[in-house]
Amino acid sequence: MKVSLRNIGKKYEGREEFTLKDINLDIEDKDFCVILGPSGCGKTTLLRMIAGLNSITEGDLLFGEKRMNKVPSKDRDIAMVFQSYALYPHMTVYDNMAFSLAMRKEPKKLIHDRVMEAAEVLQIQEYLYSKPSDISGGQRQRVALGRAMVRKPAVFLMDEPLSNLDAKLREHMRVELVRLHKALGTTSIYVTHDQVEAMTMATKIVLMNEGVIQQAGIPDDFYNRPANIFVARFIGSPTMNIIHGSMDKGKFVAEHKLIKIKPSEADAKKLKDFEGKKVSVGIRPERFDSRGEYGDTFKAIVDTVEMLGKEKILYIKLENGSELVVSAPGHYEFKEGADHSFGFDLEAIHYFDSETGLRIN
Amino acid sequence: MSGLFRKKNSLYLSDNQPLTVVGMIGLVVSYVILLSWVVAILWPLSQMIMSAFNGKQAQYLMSNRNFAFSWKHFQFLFSETLYLRWVLNTLFIAGSTAILTLLIVSFTGFAYSRFRFKGRKASLMAIMLIQTIPAFAGITAYFTMHSIIQNYAPWVTRQLMLILIYSGGGIAGNTFVLKGYIDSISTELDDAARIDGCSNMQVYRLIIMPIAKPMLAIIALWSFIGPFMDYMLPAILLNRPQDYTLASGLFTLMNDFRTMNQPAFAAGGLLTAVPIVALFMVLQKQLVSGLAKGAVKG
Repeated sequence: MKVSLRNIGKKYEGREEFTLKDINLDIEDKDFCVILGPSGCGKTTLLRMIAGLNSITEGDLLFGEKRMNKVPSKDRDIAMVFQSYALYPHMTVYDNMAFSLAMRKEPKKLIHDRVMEAAEVLQIQEYLYSKPSDISGGQRQRVALGRAMVRKPAVFLMDEPLSNLDAKLREHMRVELVRLHKALGTTSIYVTHDQVEAMTMATKIVLMNEGVIQQAGIPDDFYNRPANIFVARFIGSPTMNIIHGSMDKGKFVAEHKLIKIKPSEADAKKLKDFEGKKVSVGIRPERFDSRGEYGDTFKAIVDTVEMLGKEKILYIKLENGSELVVSAPGHYEFKEGADHSFGFDLEAIHYFDSETGLRIN
Repeated sequence: MSGLFRKKNSLYLSDNQPLTVVGMIGLVVSYVILLSWVVAILWPLSQMIMSAFNGKQAQYLMSNRNFAFSWKHFQFLFSETLYLRWVLNTLFIAGSTAILTLLIVSFTGFAYSRFRFKGRKASLMAIMLIQTIPAFAGITAYFTMHSIIQNYAPWVTRQLMLILIYSGGGIAGNTFVLKGYIDSISTELDDAARIDGCSNMQVYRLIIMPIAKPMLAIIALWSFIGPFMDYMLPAILLNRPQDYTLASGLFTLMNDFRTMNQPAFAAGGLLTAVPIVALFMVLQKQLVSGLAKGAVKG
């Protein structure tokens, strides 16, 4: 089912400011939409509004063509997986999964079939009759998913469901969640603060900060064409390098004058209007070129090297002490304290307007 | 090498440091204090049990060495006094108090924990303050209220009045305790239940109450025991011997020389423990986890 948000705003009781304002978003049928953002950006509020757990102060929430603002949660045809899993501790796993259907007074036979079906998909048949306190975190996670699945909802909501799992299990569940999403054919909305989860699982990412949507689109755009400096710095690890400076005679000159970049022809056209104005340049750590084939190079000292195996993270220092982060393939040799020349991959340079933070090229 | 062949019983296995002389003296002192405490509690109890079964005891309790096992004090209790009636009265009052308290407290505790409304903080503070005033302080007000109410509703007996006073007194404090306990239950459970199709009432009945069972068991036990222990209110409010509770009834075997029979009092006191012990055993499983959690929650 298509979920549309039109000028949605939320103001909590007893607060002066709107937590969310003018949120416009379309989530297509069968999308896996990940709402991403730092803590306190309003992403969970947004999800809870879609779920009907928080009221909508202004704007319209549409499921398909139907306005859902005043529809109670249980009639929205949704299911939700909570961060704490929220399993009912006094019921067995089976009863937990059967609860929503039992509340709807579905026939016993149908409930049993649905629970067994979900249990088989999630491989939790062995402990159907255990209490949630007797099973492990990963198993509880599956039960929480199962409880949502038996409903066969049109919209699947998830609020940081993987944050309580250890790293290995999280990696495994990421893949499984995507598989499940495809098998169920529902629309999924997933809230997280983890960019890796967003990049790997989403068909559409919505990045929020301070109650405003910063960018919405496919994961590839987020990495390669961030809409503003916030997005550029939020996505990608290590963080993108941002160099502040200005345009001078068609060339970018950094504030400390140690870095000069001649933009590519396509970029130069878009930068024409910014002659003499303040511009920030963003470059991903892996898009430096240490052989300096690309014209504009700069000298720096390798300060610290972090060995990660497949890559090395170099913290390099310019003459004036300002730091940049460079990532190089793991088999390259770098000595700490050595001088090096670095160049840029001109195709991979992001130009931002320093005043507004918005992307130029 | 010698370590390997050392005898097992010479290994020092405790995680505590070995005792010093001062520590040893301290330990002995602690045990002396604890043991005298035990004697202080068990001595009167054992005297009570002995006297209850001692056929050689007459109207007054005497400590002497004559002992002959007999049921005669119990027989006296059941045939010559209204003991059975008092037991039923007490069970009725205690049971009704427990049920009424539990019902109202579960509602108020749930409401205070889960809903935000005007005057929530203020009324919680008021409840805290009311708690500090003993129920007995309102005795004149109770009398007046009772005579007014009885003009309109003659069926409100003095026993019913007692039940209302007990449960009314219990509601304030127990609301606080239960609210604290329900606060510790994640509200995500409520959210999940709402999405699963529960109304507020169903969230209360199907989710929160079953989880709060340990605390409810403790509240039930406390409110049940209260009427067994209280002497003052029933002695003042109830004026007919057939209305008496155990505490006020048994006291007539002690303080009035016309009805004096101290060994029977001991026997009655012994039997009083039976219903409480029975309830305790039924609720035991709930109580242990409730007490443990209550300890953390305060």
